[in-house]
Amino acid sequence: MKTTIAPSSLTSLPHRTNLSLRSSSLLFRSPSSMTTTTTSRGNMAVAAAAATSTEALRKGIAEFYNETSGLWEEIWGDHMHHGFYEPDSSVQLSDSGHRDAQIRMIEESLRFAGVTDEEEEKKIKKIVDVGCGIGGSSRYLASKFGAESIGITLSPVQAKRANDLAAAQSLSNKVSFQVADALDQPFEDGKFDLVWSMESGEHMPDKAKFVKELVRVAAPGGRIIIVTWCHRNLSAGEKALQPWEQDLLDKICKTFYLPAWCSTDDYVHLLESHSLQDIKCADWSENVAPFWPAVIRTALTWKGLVSLLRSGMKSIKGALTMPLMIEGYKKGVIKFGIITCKKPL
Amino acid sequence: MRLITHNMLSCNIKGVTNGFPLRIEAGNVIEKEVEFNPDFLRHMFAKLEWKALVEGARSMGYAELPEDSPDAAVLESDEAFLKKLHHALLELHLEEGALVCPETGRKFPVNKGIPNMLLHEDEV
Repeated sequence: MKTTIAPSSLTSLPHRTNLSLRSSSLLFRSPSSMTTTTTSRGNMAVAAAAATSTEALRKGIAEFYNETSGLWEEIWGDHMHHGFYEPDSSVQLSDSGHRDAQIRMIEESLRFAGVTDEEEEKKIKKIVDVGCGIGGSSRYLASKFGAESIGITLSPVQAKRANDLAAAQSLSNKVSFQVADALDQPFEDGKFDLVWSMESGEHMPDKAKFVKELVRVAAPGGRIIIVTWCHRNLSAGEKALQPWEQDLLDKICKTFYLPAWCSTDDYVHLLESHSLQDIKCADWSENVAPFWPAVIRTALTWKGLVSLLRSGMKSIKGALTMPLMIEGYKKGVIKFGIITCKKPL
Repeated sequence: MRLITHNMLSCNIKGVTNGFPLRIEAGNVIEKEVEFNPDFLRHMFAKLEWKALVEGARSMGYAELPEDSPDAAVLESDEAFLKKLHHALLELHLEEGALVCPETGRKFPVNKGIPNMLLHEDEV
């Protein structure tokens, strides 16, 4: 897939002093590549580097979404996630079919998780939307179940927009949005009947901690639904991805503020370690594949390009990275996965 | 931030066992009318932490709620009570202020109605 953004439009970009992504690529290497030494000072240095890099990642994610959220909303609508399509279907972002597909993504996810009838739906009174974006899922789920939904995001801009949209849709009594960290959720244990993570897992630097928090805040009998980008499962005997695969992912990571990727199998193992029930997973890569070409087509329209240039460097880099997502999907490196389970009573 | 949200938030600093409920330091409180929906209130009532709601409402300037949580039966018959519950839970907004951890005193700022619950590196 080639994109043809005219070179002249790139050279005429406004120069900003805070352009550079963190020059320390330390941020985006997988933890296993951080060397440790035997001296205590060496260990402290590594720990300090890890601590500041997590803080830097968090800040990077917040800034990324502060800057790009408005633009994403123009392209994606208020649901900042992929649509669920029939494989090989043709998609136009401008038509209502796209929004329908995004709704379908939510419905398919619920169905996959076993929320299939009225009895199951009635059990859902409190929902947490982990990595809520501008609250599309929260508003939809709260309306659907007549439940309360709390969303958390690292971006104050997104939280405000989410609250404003809720007010505009008369949903303020049911949904609210906070700035908080998915790795340290500001809730007591066991509060939520439905723990929802729609395309936010990619940003979590510590997958084990992320899963641990999802499990902690889930109520007994509650469901956890994780829909996320992963890399392909490793085959038996494989210790890591091929170097070319890792290189591809690294490039995407830098632009979208993603820490190291993991596989669907990794999530399943983490959930298994918490003795959860009904653990299921699926590969929905074919059902989201039509989305990125549609996004790129929209970006390349005159309106799209102008919006991009207005939004800033992070958005532009994001746009230029999208073909890499397509390459990743086509070559089977990137997978779109769903993992669901239930917490025992 | 409304009290329905405050009722869910707690302080998760490492080592803290008593992080709920958060005390409210009210800087700027505004009232926004919300459509009265008694069924929603009945639906939510069972899972409310009553004491946290009463104390929170008082901090925001509203002292009309009873100290003790009423029986569910009251919800069916007493519309006056339901209106008070509705007002406290959904119509009081903390726009500026802070949420304070009862154990450590750590303040979580609330700006433009949004609480910032992010922890610092040394708190996780």
